[in-house]
Amino acid sequence: MTEPSSHEIENRKLDRGTYEHERDTVLQTWHTGKDVDFAKGVRRHHEMPDSKKFSVALANAEAAHKTLLQPRAGVALIREQIQLLNDLSPHCDVLPTTVDAYTRHNRYEEAQAGIDRSRAAGTSLLNGFPPVNHGVEGCERLVDNVSKPIQVRHGTPDARLMAEITLASGFSSFEGGGISYNIPYSKNVPLARSIRHWQYCDRLVGRYEEEGVSINREPFGPLTGTLVPPFVSHAVALIEGLLALEQGVKCITLGYGQAGNLSQDVAAIRSLRQLGHHYFREFGHDDYALSTVFHQWMGGFPEIEARAYSVIALGAAAAKFGGATKIIVKTPHEASGVPTMEANRAGLQATEQMINMIGDQGYLETDEIAQEMALIEREVHAVMDKVIDLGQGDIARGAVRAFEAGVMDIPFAPASVNAGRLTPVRDNNGAIRVFDQGSIPLPADVIAFHKEKIAERAAAEGRDASFKMVVDDVRAISASKLIGRPN
Amino acid sequence: MADARFKVVLGVIGADCHAVGNKIIKSVLEPLGIDVVNLGVMVSQDEFIDAAVETGAQAILVSSIYGHGEIDCAGFRGRCVERGLADILLYVGGNLVIGKREFSAVEAMFKDMGFDRVFKPTVDLEEVAELLKADISRKVLVCNDDHEVVELRIAG
Repeated sequence: MTEPSSHEIENRKLDRGTYEHERDTVLQTWHTGKDVDFAKGVRRHHEMPDSKKFSVALANAEAAHKTLLQPRAGVALIREQIQLLNDLSPHCDVLPTTVDAYTRHNRYEEAQAGIDRSRAAGTSLLNGFPPVNHGVEGCERLVDNVSKPIQVRHGTPDARLMAEITLASGFSSFEGGGISYNIPYSKNVPLARSIRHWQYCDRLVGRYEEEGVSINREPFGPLTGTLVPPFVSHAVALIEGLLALEQGVKCITLGYGQAGNLSQDVAAIRSLRQLGHHYFREFGHDDYALSTVFHQWMGGFPEIEARAYSVIALGAAAAKFGGATKIIVKTPHEASGVPTMEANRAGLQATEQMINMIGDQGYLETDEIAQEMALIEREVHAVMDKVIDLGQGDIARGAVRAFEAGVMDIPFAPASVNAGRLTPVRDNNGAIRVFDQGSIPLPADVIAFHKEKIAERAAAEGRDASFKMVVDDVRAISASKLIGRPN
Repeated sequence: MADARFKVVLGVIGADCHAVGNKIIKSVLEPLGIDVVNLGVMVSQDEFIDAAVETGAQAILVSSIYGHGEIDCAGFRGRCVERGLADILLYVGGNLVIGKREFSAVEAMFKDMGFDRVFKPTVDLEEVAELLKADISRKVLVCNDDHEVVELRIAG
């Protein structure tokens, strides 16, 4: 495949010939690719009980207004991964397999060294499960030995081979997208390339759909997880949703990461669902199942475990009040990295207790939530209008050009294609506001509102808003506060 | 302004793409008079060393938050020695291993690997800046002493 430019990338379904031709190359990028058999994969999915299908779990949860709980979990070796998932299974609704960081960058040789060293050490030295190295046979063994739906969770700009292997093995949900798994997860991958690679992944899911197998797709909501204003991540989620639907995806879950202010978080998850339907219909899609996922706080956590539970519980409350279909649950070990099974289970239990208690309460409606929803919707429309305009109606081309122009801009992202001029900061209530809009085309009155809210905080703290304030905010939650106020 | 006396190479090692802490370290060190050559995320051992050679930095600051630090940092000191940077200061910080382990054990392991200082992710960065300046100043002093000895020998 030649490198697509912003002129060539387009939001159009890949034709069969293009997909098949590309597939031949993709399956040769690591030796386990030769074992992928699409027809056999389709049979596996058809033979699987509904209790192991992600799309069924999501549809049931939507219908019953239930909230599914899902941990993150991934270790280097198959037997240990099976053990870990089965230990977590009684405490959650759907299962993950979190992929290691070498595999995320297609560094399969390093992943293999990690597997070998983990075997020798008797403990996982990888931060996740390497599905490509374990191949179809290894992944099938994993799927066969768990009793709940299982999703691939990663951070991979080029996940084509991983998608082929894991979906053929019976995984029924695949996280990621061409923007959300590039900008926060890589340094030098051109955006047109990752979008194109994710069109392939979505087309593969579309091929399963054509065979009557529903595979859930979940764009990654939280992005860098650090002071991301809701409209920024919503715009990415909506674009990735549209790109997925175009390739034949039918079951889509849009995501959002906890920001910390309850009204803003509830408003964000509610508006995400509404905006999803709005844009999907506007682009002519009507045959899809939409659900939402709320990620508990993705930034730095307090080291003390009791304090970490409060961050987890606040996220659980926001998710439940907001009506999220699923919650991705954090653990009290978050400050130290990969958690033990026990810490993971504890995070799930803390979350369950909170959602049960919130679930017994009615729909929460406040002026603040209504105002935040109206604000987010206006901001999203402003950005989306410009993206559509830049792409002359094509959302894929528009997204690439929007990042080039800084119209889309993700705070604290490592990718060189990201402008990095948008600077967020918390207001005096801890809601995330826009301190420097960079080149984001927000309406003048919206910008004036953000400035006013930030000025309120600056006055309360007796200092000017500055990058120092932003840095204080980034460190605030791990220092047991929400807002990074001066001592 | 950055003081030319203190120059360091900064980056996140391996396949780690966590950019937030990296940007913050730079934003704290620079106003404290340390010239930071920031390589950003996903930096290999050789890229750190290349940058140190090219810029004449006195220290390399390695970050790792994703758990593969133990694998990614193996052999770093040896590689520095091979490349003629035997005396360069090596600092490392973050969540350096998989899972929750005693920090003292992690610190001992990385010191054994040849790192001069090992930090938790919660470390006060202003403290790191002070240590860095003190360590660099001490090294410069030692190097100058060596230099004088050599000159004396030549003179003698």
